Amino acid sequence: METLCSTRSGTPELARYFAVPGAHLYTVLHQVSYPVARALLIGPLAAERHETYHPWVRWARYLAAKRIEVLRFDYRGIGESTGTFEDMSFEDWSEDVHLLTEWLESRTPRVPLLLHGLEIGGIFAANLFDREIGNALLQWSPPTSANEALRLNLRHWAGLEQLYQSPENRKSSSEYIRQLEQGSPIEVDGYLWSCRLWHESFDVMLSASSKDDSLSEGLKRRVGVVKLSKDASPLVRPHLRVDEVRDLSRLYSDTFDWVAEALALSTGETNEGSN
Amino acid sequence: MKEAIESRELFVLDGLGVVVRGTYHKTPADNSGAQSNLKSDRLGVLFISSLFPTRAANGDSAVYWADSFAANGYPSFRLDCPGFGDSDGEPPPGLFEFINRGGYGPILSAKIKELIARFHLSGVVIVGLCAGAVSAIWTSAASTDCRGMILMNPYFYLPQAARPNFRERLSAWSLQTHLGGVLSKCYAHLKEIRLFLSRKSLPKNANYLLLRRFKELASAGLPILIVNGKDRKSPAMKSKIGEFDYLAHVLKSSGRRGQIVVRTVEGADHSLSNRLGRLGAKEHAEQWLNARFPLTDRQGAVISTTHRNPGDSENGCACREQVLNCN
Repeated sequence: METLCSTRSGTPELARYFAVPGAHLYTVLHQVSYPVARALLIGPLAAERHETYHPWVRWARYLAAKRIEVLRFDYRGIGESTGTFEDMSFEDWSEDVHLLTEWLESRTPRVPLLLHGLEIGGIFAANLFDREIGNALLQWSPPTSANEALRLNLRHWAGLEQLYQSPENRKSSSEYIRQLEQGSPIEVDGYLWSCRLWHESFDVMLSASSKDDSLSEGLKRRVGVVKLSKDASPLVRPHLRVDEVRDLSRLYSDTFDWVAEALALSTGETNEGSN
Repeated sequence: MKEAIESRELFVLDGLGVVVRGTYHKTPADNSGAQSNLKSDRLGVLFISSLFPTRAANGDSAVYWADSFAANGYPSFRLDCPGFGDSDGEPPPGLFEFINRGGYGPILSAKIKELIARFHLSGVVIVGLCAGAVSAIWTSAASTDCRGMILMNPYFYLPQAARPNFRERLSAWSLQTHLGGVLSKCYAHLKEIRLFLSRKSLPKNANYLLLRRFKELASAGLPILIVNGKDRKSPAMKSKIGEFDYLAHVLKSSGRRGQIVVRTVEGADHSLSNRLGRLGAKEHAEQWLNARFPLTDRQGAVISTTHRNPGDSENGCACREQVLNCN
């Protein structure tokens, strides 16, 4: 069955499964005939995947229209990918990113590669970049550790739960954390967080060399870290009302300028794609 | 990179210049080589996405349900509505207004035609959650290929105008304090008395057009399953005290031919995405599908074992038996 189809902008989007150990990842390649660069979009986990999906897809389309071929994906056990969330570990998800990068790097023609991580995806991207993979690294609101990302998500979810629970059943986020630390899994936004996942999250840290943009000055491989403001919602919390769509074209445009500079793309090359 | 794996296949429906993407969950028959014998007598189950959570739905619950229905012999399909998920386009301005007035009905009914032709189906049972349930009703009304509906937490009203700021603060206060809670209950009782005195007529913000479509479908005998998560603040599935009971209204208005079954799932959240919600909705829907649309011997023969998703309990879920059933 054919799954290749062009969007209105004329950029084909190819949805396919990619085999990884024990599962298949759902991927969408925003294909470009003569790419000037490639980008791997490394998104957030679990419920954050759903909240950020809309602007994340539009960012991929924006880049593709500028002749940057983009690959986006769902991690093992999340969204359209196969596998069971509670069986997965940060190591599995990190491996997903690594395997997809290898696949993207094997494509021809060879062009510069951007690793772009959103939220916890920024940690995976940075850790890969540390291993000399990719020509530029861009992070949108990366946490300092996976545990910080989990805590933020938990706090947000527990706050919302309080609105729906009767007073006797209300729990604070610290009570849920206590439950995890005592060895009981919890369910957050439909995903079962195991105690193992919680404990592992303390060890998944943002690499030191990618924390500060200034550290990369003078180096060939550029690093960009952008702490998104609430204007970039729903890419960051607090998310918008469910019926609201925000225009993020300014963010896309500014970010693209950084990408073009970091990958030394000429204006002529990228303009051809948008015409 | 593959377009299809053993259990699933990705597809695009691009008729009428509208590109919609989806996932097909294969039945055991699809992989047994028996599909060549399954001409156009297969009934599909179609999930319509609801707003932004994509076709996977919150907590990937739609993936879970589609996997399960397919494993039980019902080919299942999940679609991203135009403007959402991986489908093309942008959400229409005034999104809720668009959905509540049936904006997706015509295009989705056209997409069902494409789906049926492509996958050799005899028709579809449409599944929708919340706003997706509203679109499911409109789509069923616009389609000649709909054989039934599974509506999860549907709503039959239009958004009310924004409340004044002081009322918002008052509402928050009533949620947070004991005294506020007591006063809130008194206020709700007064509202209920007022509703009773006004002979339980429809509220001003009822979605009359949607209710009319629902009544037409139900009174024509379309099998409909309504699955609701139990309100965790309310002692029963009945609408919260002081609120109009739309379920009772639609059951009453469906007439003698109505085939509406209502089930409730205890411990479920609004999106039925937590473990109890997912499991309860799955079991109710499968019982209903098996009762209303039994598989032919040929289709059923391929399914040798009962499929269980990870995390399913051996003894079933803590689902409460039917609370309202017009049968």
